[in-house]
Amino acid sequence: MNNQGAAYTYHLKNVGLQLLYKSSKVFKVNPRFTAGFIIVLIVIILALVAPFITWYPPLKTLVGKPFTPPVALHPFGVDDLGRDIYTNVLYGIRTSLIVGVSAVTISLAIGILIGVIAGYYGGLLEDALMRITDMALIIPQFLLALVIVAIFGQNFQNIIIAIGIVSWPGIARMMRAEFLSIKERPFVEAAKAVGLSDVKIIFEEILPNAIPAIIPYAVLQVNTAILVEAGLGFLGIADPNVPSLGLMLNTAQQYLVRAWFMAFFPGLVLSIIVIGLNLLGDGLIEHLNPRLRKR
Amino acid sequence: MSPLIFFIIRRLIQYVPMILVVIIVTFLLVRLAPGDPTYILVGEVGDESFVKAMRERLGLDRPLYDQFVIYISNVFRGDLGYSYLRSEPVAKLIVERIPATLLLVLTAMFISALVGIIVGTIAAARRGVADLTLSTLSIIGISIPYFWLGQIILIVFAVWLGIFPLGGMVSVGYEYQGLEYFLDVLYHLTLPAMTLAIFNIAFTTKITRGSVLEALTQDYIVTARAKGIPESRVVFRHALRNALIPVVTYTGFNTGVLLVGAILTETVFAWPGMGSLLYDSIRLRDYPVVLGIFIYGSIIVILANLIVDVLYGIIDPRIRLR
Repeated sequence: MNNQGAAYTYHLKNVGLQLLYKSSKVFKVNPRFTAGFIIVLIVIILALVAPFITWYPPLKTLVGKPFTPPVALHPFGVDDLGRDIYTNVLYGIRTSLIVGVSAVTISLAIGILIGVIAGYYGGLLEDALMRITDMALIIPQFLLALVIVAIFGQNFQNIIIAIGIVSWPGIARMMRAEFLSIKERPFVEAAKAVGLSDVKIIFEEILPNAIPAIIPYAVLQVNTAILVEAGLGFLGIADPNVPSLGLMLNTAQQYLVRAWFMAFFPGLVLSIIVIGLNLLGDGLIEHLNPRLRKR
Repeated sequence: MSPLIFFIIRRLIQYVPMILVVIIVTFLLVRLAPGDPTYILVGEVGDESFVKAMRERLGLDRPLYDQFVIYISNVFRGDLGYSYLRSEPVAKLIVERIPATLLLVLTAMFISALVGIIVGTIAAARRGVADLTLSTLSIIGISIPYFWLGQIILIVFAVWLGIFPLGGMVSVGYEYQGLEYFLDVLYHLTLPAMTLAIFNIAFTTKITRGSVLEALTQDYIVTARAKGIPESRVVFRHALRNALIPVVTYTGFNTGVLLVGAILTETVFAWPGMGSLLYDSIRLRDYPVVLGIFIYGSIIVILANLIVDVLYGIIDPRIRLR
């Protein structure tokens, strides 16, 4: 028992070390990835520790005098309803990250399913699915998400679902391309020869090989989802009970002449999140594509 | 039939059904939404008799199939319903706003193509420090949400420095004519167009750089250099010319992104286009207008893609054969 435990710990350590070694190589080779990674890490930590580094409850009104410019107690100032902007910005980071990750999970599920079916089975089914995908790519996704939330009700859940179901086409196309190339490889032929079922070949043989290629795009999709949420919030499509960087910019719009800080800080933090994720995604793409690395 | 006409017809067959799909999607969404669809198609206000009249006119008391046929035929005839709040047909409200939005989009497109192509070409030709700075700047340019950028530009140039107007399209209270009117619009257009262009310059630069880098590896460049042509001429005349097609098509296919960008930018600068209309309609819960803007916006994007696709085929004969 003890021995087994020790062996397991050793194994874990080994895997850990390997991962560390591999990632250290990425860091050395790719400064963009490193910069993005650090920024995203800081953003995630800030979102996690938000309750411990703020001293007001989020969204609580009249914790300060409305329109107070930044002071020690309110580092980012106070908004029109007397809410502390610093507190709401930190909780807003949480909202952005939750929306980004959940919406992309939904779009990955839809996109992978459609891409896999089209890429693996081919023929008429592929043609039909890809025509739908192309159409969905042309329709302005932001406007579609906006219409969905506007008529289904402006709550947090609907916003996540709407962003998720409008952003699958890109993933579907990539997935199909990956499947088209991977299914020609000998190991798939071997799996077929052995008589594995389609489901097994798709999910156990091909999919694990296709996933790495779409990871960087998933990161960039998180980014897009965060921006769409912010854009919707900016137009006033948001859940008023959830702190949102976009919604803060919507409120700020009415007081630009009077209170610059109401727009400045939420937007700055939003930009930093997006820059971090863009660097991370681009860095990953460059790292995984050696042809780009040389340039 | 000449292959060109055949090509254009094929593209039309490809794109026109998309408009139908947009309308079907809208209809389905309205039907799937919780609550009485009348309030979405008519708006949340209106007295009983108005709502009842509209319900009959839209066939909402009839079977789903009839409703669908009525809705489609209405939309195809350009009837998007009536905005009770503004006492005007939705289609009229939107069509009035399209020119302002197009002016903003086209100006931004022009500025960003001009700047992006020059900067992107230089970045490709002189790799090294300049290239690294530019690619870092372009990452930042792509990342900054342009509606926030617009707010900051407005605060700095209009509120603090006071050298540009706070918003709108013309100065209120002056009845400018002719050249003066043109200059006044230009003056109001500067900040919103700049905001939208900055966002798009980053993309155009990135595409141009990649495309020129690719062109610079071709054999004809080696030939040109061997002939002793100055490097600047090699880059700008020989490489850039061949690198331009992807840049131009990209600019066209990017209309959707720019349209959404314009909608958000307009809101910041109170530019009287479709974006401001959308913003007000969301606040007033004037759903017919929101749905109408979705349909019109999608149609504009589909048509832009169609036009670029056809032009692409005319410029590059190889595409036609596919």
